[in-house]
Amino acid sequence: MKPELGHLALAVGFAAAATGAALAALGAARRDLRAARVGRLFVALVVVAAVGAVAVMEWALLGHDFSLAYVAQNGSRATPTLFTVASLWAALQGSILLWALILAVHLGVAAHRWRGLTGDPAIGWATAVGLAVAAFFFALMLGPADPFRAVQGAVPADGAGPNPLLQNHPMMAFHPPMLYLGYVGFTVPFALAMGALISGRVDEQWLRLTRQTTLLAWGLLTVGIVLGAWWSYEVLGWGGYWAWDPVENAALIPWFTATAFLHSVRIQERRGRLRVWNLSLLLATYCLTIVGTFLTRSGVVASVHAFSRSAVGPVLLGFLAVLAVSALALLAWRGDRLRTPGRIDSPLSREAAFLVNNLVMTALATVVVTGTVFPLLAEALWNRQLAVGAPYFDRLAAPLGLTLLLLMAVAPLLPYRAMEPRQLRERLLGPAVAAAGTAAAVTAAGVRGVERVVALGLAAAVAWSVVSSVAPQVRARARAHGERRLVALGRLVAGNRRRYGGFVVHLGVAIIAVALAASYGAGTHRELVLAQGRSATVQGYTVTYLGTEARSTPQKLTLSAQLRVTHDGQPVGVLTPSLAVFPGATEAVGSPSVRAGLRQDLYLTLVSSPDETGQVTVGVFVNPLVSWLWLGGLVMALGTAWAAWPARRRVRRPGVPARDAPVLDTPAAGETVSVGSGS
Amino acid sequence: MIATGRLRWWICAAVCAGAVAWLLGAGLTANIQYFRTASEAVAARADDGSHTLRLAGAVVPGSEQDTATGVDFAVTDGHATVEVHHVGSAPELFAAGAPVVCEGHWQRDLFLSDRILIKHGSDYRPPEVRQ
Repeated sequence: MKPELGHLALAVGFAAAATGAALAALGAARRDLRAARVGRLFVALVVVAAVGAVAVMEWALLGHDFSLAYVAQNGSRATPTLFTVASLWAALQGSILLWALILAVHLGVAAHRWRGLTGDPAIGWATAVGLAVAAFFFALMLGPADPFRAVQGAVPADGAGPNPLLQNHPMMAFHPPMLYLGYVGFTVPFALAMGALISGRVDEQWLRLTRQTTLLAWGLLTVGIVLGAWWSYEVLGWGGYWAWDPVENAALIPWFTATAFLHSVRIQERRGRLRVWNLSLLLATYCLTIVGTFLTRSGVVASVHAFSRSAVGPVLLGFLAVLAVSALALLAWRGDRLRTPGRIDSPLSREAAFLVNNLVMTALATVVVTGTVFPLLAEALWNRQLAVGAPYFDRLAAPLGLTLLLLMAVAPLLPYRAMEPRQLRERLLGPAVAAAGTAAAVTAAGVRGVERVVALGLAAAVAWSVVSSVAPQVRARARAHGERRLVALGRLVAGNRRRYGGFVVHLGVAIIAVALAASYGAGTHRELVLAQGRSATVQGYTVTYLGTEARSTPQKLTLSAQLRVTHDGQPVGVLTPSLAVFPGATEAVGSPSVRAGLRQDLYLTLVSSPDETGQVTVGVFVNPLVSWLWLGGLVMALGTAWAAWPARRRVRRPGVPARDAPVLDTPAAGETVSVGSGS
Repeated sequence: MIATGRLRWWICAAVCAGAVAWLLGAGLTANIQYFRTASEAVAARADDGSHTLRLAGAVVPGSEQDTATGVDFAVTDGHATVEVHHVGSAPELFAAGAPVVCEGHWQRDLFLSDRILIKHGSDYRPPEVRQ
């Protein structure tokens, strides 16, 4: 029964999405308000269908209904409930189903927020495009990626369970959905961009909606990427968090272009320029998410994340081709109509800084795309199997990343339009001193490597420039209103969420830069071969091997080593890195044991179980400042949430003030008054 | 005026694109690692010099010998056999007959490996076994 129910939900979803797309398009093309309204209602049906399909799948997974091929391949009776629920995204078909659900939810939220704008042709076309994309993903599941295929032959008594790596850490239940939320979320700004191009109209409202939805998707993707790095660090046991794995890259590439958009959209808002460029960035961001999906879902790249080879690859490639061709055709058709004359006034202006930011972000995207796709091209064109080593990415990304840090330190101090070079020199003095002082201090403290020292110096400059942009305004407000400085700061920050949220995000980036400079490819790694009761010392940490303990659950057989650790004589505790063998898997999966600290992490892995003589091999990593990465990610998330949180209702009932209305009596309140005044 | 602005813009764009293309090209040529089966690796040994490459094959049973710094073993693809000197610990899965990919470079006719790649997922096979 479940295959039929599941297929029914998918068919309803496809039909609703296709019909809704057609009606919305008709409504927008003919200015037919009724068709547009009915088309919009179909979004609700798409949401219901997607939720229904996922519910059927979860019902089958949790009920261990092995008559479904997907459950037989990815579920097992021994798997704990959390991972059974998470098995929805353990393999290709289920992950497309999750994709469809998240897309439906994004479209539903968007349709709800656009409910008063049905007559706007740009919004109508955006609804049509969003629904057309949803129809494609439902069709994908009715065709090559069918999650509800019945098992062939007899129904097995038990299933294989998810890949061992996917049921080894609870993070697996959170990191993929978060990444998908961001990744799929770019569909909405993409649809808005297509809507603007088809209707040939870009207005204030459109700009605001596009900016908000992009910021939301960007924030979720940022959190997803940081969680992914955390998963890699906590689960894979190699002591690092970023390996330029094709799938990591796939998440990062659209992040670059979306970040570029979030900056250059300011020029469009303030000066009405760069419209076509901004539209191109949105279109490119979405196309790049499909490229990433193709890389990870088609089995063309060997990677930690890659699913097995499937027929989905060519279909996705076809979809990408349709997207790219229609986007380029629309840009060519409408480009001139939307283009605005004018140029940047001066290289010493906020606009110019945003432009350079865009160049660097685009260059980063190009570098990472090239390195990721090159092995595929080489195999397709010259039949050569090769890999692009991590040094390629490191060497090219490092200078570009440092340039971005430099921009983050300088740009907030630049006003729009133009400024006097002399004035700029005065403003830059503080950040420059902070950078030079920090660089000198860390060099004296023993940090080596030009890139690391420069990164630490620039991170300090970024922090300084944020503080020196905020402090004078706090002082001025405190004087003008007779408030305490802390109160003044709070009111300022509450009054202009975008500006101060953005500053908080920049501080988060600076914290991450510090973490990367201190820990990326740095740290100490030793392997110790220890007999029971013996100890060895690495970087002040004395590790004593107490013994091993085997524990057996239906899910897995775990062998953990008990290691007592002291640091410079002070007890740290007993750490228990382990190896686990899952039934049905041939290889053991290691789980590192990490004692995280603000200054450094102690990271222990069990490399091999006791040999004939009873000795174990233990990997010891001492990683400086890795915790700062997660801290920086958290700060970025908070800053984004602050900036993205809807400050006021668009449609407000008269007489009912919004709960979180901005303080309107201050010079800094309201977005247009003070944003980027730089003084 | 507009014409010169346009021209300047194009020159600027061309210079930027050229710089990026040059960096990409230089970065790629320096960091490409070819996958070679044991016999391909032997055939291309003179060309590869000390360039990093990935050597694929199966561990010859009985050839593994633990050393102070790692493990020595031989890999074969059925046609040619390469002696490998690996520095660092071998992964848990490392065993006689196991398909491995070693990352390293030639030193005369010995292959110095500093990384043994074992892909996660039981359905992974090194490239040459897949064919």
